[in-house]
Amino acid sequence: MTRIVEVPAHLDDRSFDQFAQALAYESESPERVLVDAHAAQWASPYGLVGLLTAAQGLGQLRGEKPLFAVPTSDEVRRYWARAGFFKYGADLFEIHGKVPKVPTDESDVLLGITPVRAAEDVHDVVGKIQEGARRILAGELKLEAKATMGFAMALSEACQNIVEHAGTSGWAAVQAYTWRRRLGRRVVVIAVSDAGIGFRRSLEGVQARRYGDRWGDGAALESALIQGVSRFRDPGRGQGLAGIKRYLARWDGKISIRSGTARLTIVPSWDDDVPLSEHLPYFPGSQVQIVIPAQSDTPR
Amino acid sequence: MIHTIQLDRILQGAVDTPYRDLVTRPTGAAVRRSVESSISEAHCVTALLDFSAVGLLDFSCADEVVAQLLLGARSGKGHVLLMGLSEDQSEAIDHVLRNRHLVVAVLPRPGETPFLLGATSPEARNAFRFVHEVGPCTVADLAQEMNWDHFFALSALQELAGHRLVGVDRDYYRPIPLQ
Repeated sequence: MTRIVEVPAHLDDRSFDQFAQALAYESESPERVLVDAHAAQWASPYGLVGLLTAAQGLGQLRGEKPLFAVPTSDEVRRYWARAGFFKYGADLFEIHGKVPKVPTDESDVLLGITPVRAAEDVHDVVGKIQEGARRILAGELKLEAKATMGFAMALSEACQNIVEHAGTSGWAAVQAYTWRRRLGRRVVVIAVSDAGIGFRRSLEGVQARRYGDRWGDGAALESALIQGVSRFRDPGRGQGLAGIKRYLARWDGKISIRSGTARLTIVPSWDDDVPLSEHLPYFPGSQVQIVIPAQSDTPR
Repeated sequence: MIHTIQLDRILQGAVDTPYRDLVTRPTGAAVRRSVESSISEAHCVTALLDFSAVGLLDFSCADEVVAQLLLGARSGKGHVLLMGLSEDQSEAIDHVLRNRHLVVAVLPRPGETPFLLGATSPEARNAFRFVHEVGPCTVADLAQEMNWDHFFALSALQELAGHRLVGVDRDYYRPIPLQ
């Protein structure tokens, strides 16, 4: 028997919970999962790395690859292929449907989906991103040239979160596009996702006792993102997320981290997201999204 | 004796990467160990870490390379200076040093007066500038120049000495040797 999990037509950080709900990751049902993307019309970098994470997690949990039905739309298939989705998806899913062979497009896909397994991969990600980031951030988003370095630093720190804390590998992707409905401006989006142990388990040893009954995914995210707590007792640790926040404060950016059943967001003035969402459908590991919007004319 | 260490070369020797970015903690730790070995072998008074050919420096790597190096150097007799820093690199280093209550001297260009990055009092910054512009001085010299009382001046100079930002020779506080 097969259990069908539909991919939302527009898969992004907001519709992701709908996907997680349908996935019912912790379900003990023996049915094989079919991730059905046939009706998908669009997916953000967050959505694409999230799909890979779902497959990775299910593979680890059940010891078998989930099935995957590719989008019906040729345009969507090509777009996903250009972003590198099928390249890595082929190892994690049993793919059904026609997969186009197209090269990665570097015009708006700043960094195609890239595996992050070790420190060398972070070097690779940071090395690859800088030229494209300079072109997009300064050219399209009208950010000062110095924003490029901070952007690469934020990406580096987000990727290191996988290497240092997840206990497994993950993926990163970066893309520029226009947020018509939500912002009406061009944005650059970093998405980093893994199917690892998540923030709660990573910080349990140093924080759970302090929180008592309130300890959970939301409290763990608050500890890490708001208070800068690390699982290491060394005061020099936990600086990666602090550095990302510093960068985002300067460029009016947004960070959102989903882990387990909670999502914590530092909400900029242009967005109406909820700062902390709890009791979400469980999803393994951690998913980070960083958004840098095109700047207004106000100099900073 | 000044021992200049080109960090881009250390990076290439320490890790297998075609890039010149100082990123990730493992990379930072490998680079720091190489820097420590280089300093130890050189028996130098001043180690000058040159960042000018380094690309990106992230916070984790800044902590591993600079902050941890300073923590290890506290008990030694030598001085550590940085040079060739971009604005972003300076910000990253300043951020991690403040977090650990550390401070380091930066040489803007050869021949110019160094300045400080990290967690230090305004008085210590002024005292540092005075010592490095005027030359060796006593507590009384600094107190007179800044119109501070004796213990205020003593506190500022001792703060600098504690971070190996000046040399101490009996009653005199000396600038970091740069030649």
